Amino acid sequence: MASYLLRRILQAFATLFIAVTIAFMLGRATGKPAALILTEGATEQQIHDLNGRLGFNDPLGVQYLHYLTGLLRGDFGVSYRNPSQSAIDIILDRLPATMTLAISSFVIGLLLAVIAAVLIHITGSHALRALFVWSGSLRQSVPDFFFGVVLVLIFSVGLGWFPSLGYSGSASLVLPVATIATAQFVLYVRLLDSALSEQTTADYVRTAYARGKRHSLVVVTEMLPNAFLPVLTVAGLNLAGLLGGTIIIEQVFSWPGVGSALIGAVSQRDFAVVQAGLLVVALIFVVVNVAVDLLYSIIDPRVKLS
Amino acid sequence: MTHTVTLAQLGPETPRKRRRRPGSGNRLLSYLGGGVVVATVLAIIAVHFWPGFDPYTQDLSAVRLNPFVDAAHPLGTDSVGRDLLSRLAAGGKTTLWITAAIVGINMVVGTLLGLLAGFFGGWLDNVIALLTDVSLALPAVLLLIALSAIFGPSALLMILTLGLTHWMSFARVARATALSLRNRDFVLAPQILGASSSRVIRTHILPHVVPQMFIIAVTSIGLVILLQAGLDYLGLGIQPPEPTWGGLVLEGQKYLRLSPWQVVIPGIAIFLIVGGTQFFSQRFTAENTQPLRKVR
Repeated sequence: MASYLLRRILQAFATLFIAVTIAFMLGRATGKPAALILTEGATEQQIHDLNGRLGFNDPLGVQYLHYLTGLLRGDFGVSYRNPSQSAIDIILDRLPATMTLAISSFVIGLLLAVIAAVLIHITGSHALRALFVWSGSLRQSVPDFFFGVVLVLIFSVGLGWFPSLGYSGSASLVLPVATIATAQFVLYVRLLDSALSEQTTADYVRTAYARGKRHSLVVVTEMLPNAFLPVLTVAGLNLAGLLGGTIIIEQVFSWPGVGSALIGAVSQRDFAVVQAGLLVVALIFVVVNVAVDLLYSIIDPRVKLS
Repeated sequence: MTHTVTLAQLGPETPRKRRRRPGSGNRLLSYLGGGVVVATVLAIIAVHFWPGFDPYTQDLSAVRLNPFVDAAHPLGTDSVGRDLLSRLAAGGKTTLWITAAIVGINMVVGTLLGLLAGFFGGWLDNVIALLTDVSLALPAVLLLIALSAIFGPSALLMILTLGLTHWMSFARVARATALSLRNRDFVLAPQILGASSSRVIRTHILPHVVPQMFIIAVTSIGLVILLQAGLDYLGLGIQPPEPTWGGLVLEGQKYLRLSPWQVVIPGIAIFLIVGGTQFFSQRFTAENTQPLRKVR
């Protein structure tokens, strides 16, 4: 267990190191940023000086070392567009709004998916399953951003129940969360349904019936825990997709999150901010996936980590 | 005879009756989906030959016209008086071209890597497996954001990014097929006679792989259109003034209260194509057809 943990964490660091190195190389491939930062009238000398201050005139190896040590100190460089602000602060300011959106959508979507899949199997209703499969297919045929706009059209413009944009209290969470949560729901209800179906013929299920356990109890207490493992893996891998989807939804609802900051930075060609944002996302992705691996052994004692 | 048939019809549903052959029940919906796609594509082409086709000319005297009001603008106009039907069709054409390009790149790259990995095995297989893992973990949207920050957003960048990050399902199937054929006599015999590996792969293995690749291509069209529309909506894909479906939604969203159809119409177009391909391809992707245990 301890050696596995160590190896998994080393692996995570290796992944992060690769991500950081790629980010560094991409950053240098853009050329020196001073010409972008300064106004058009700047002289050659001013451009040269600013590049020097930002460390872009050093040899590449020295730049890389500075970059790595900077990252370890939490220094991601300054925004190219607004040099008085550090790039990482711009991202960290926005992170809570994004996490609120992503986590609440994920939790609500997954919770509803568990309830729906369990209902399908407790009732044994093909009609219920067909309902979820077909409505899921319809939901998947509509891009997230359009689904969000339609929700705004109905519940904000039409009925006036919820605000259509911005982050102001819990009412403003409803529409964006509904958009992302429905997409998550479709994904997980299918996964859970087929995972539960695979369990129906397992020996331990037959034993449970033979002991006289009620069908609904068998589904919830015996089959569900076993069906949950694949969901955990997919959820970990899907995190990048969830965050990518959140970026698009943030645009729909003018949500003041990391996504809006990234898109704004792209339109201004501010690579420092984009890079800080992507490295934060990479860090979250790696940490969550290590956590998922470790959770495995807690949820399923049969999984030996060695 | 009649008697037994009646009894069977009146009797309670037997398990035999409830369990359908996988996919057979969805055949009608599958044809319906295919029909919707074909109709939408034909409509996109037809509008290009319509005399009033003009997606770019602005007409400030006819701004935000409602659909079905003016015969010159059947679907109305946008906020600067451009004809929405024309923009919808032009955006559709662009969407279809780019989707074809992306799926095409995915298919070629995936097939090639899969065949190499399955036929040669060994270290090549390991390298390609590593490449697959890396590509699976790469979030396309985030990657495109990074590249757009460097090179500036463009259609070419989007095509290349999506084209080089969604080939994995092609590679997996191609590899499995190549692996299963590698030691068959009709593959071994030409090698003994001195045929080169590339010739053996091209003439003896590829023909078995191609039909499967086309099935995967069809099933991936919907996803690619959704991704692409999302990126256009973010402004990371095709740049204005060229119309795209995602871009039309973005433009229309500014005037959501005044003219909601500007958003709804392109959204419906995306829904028709994506939903159509999804329902059509459900024939190939078996839905969960496992029997359910009845309530006791």
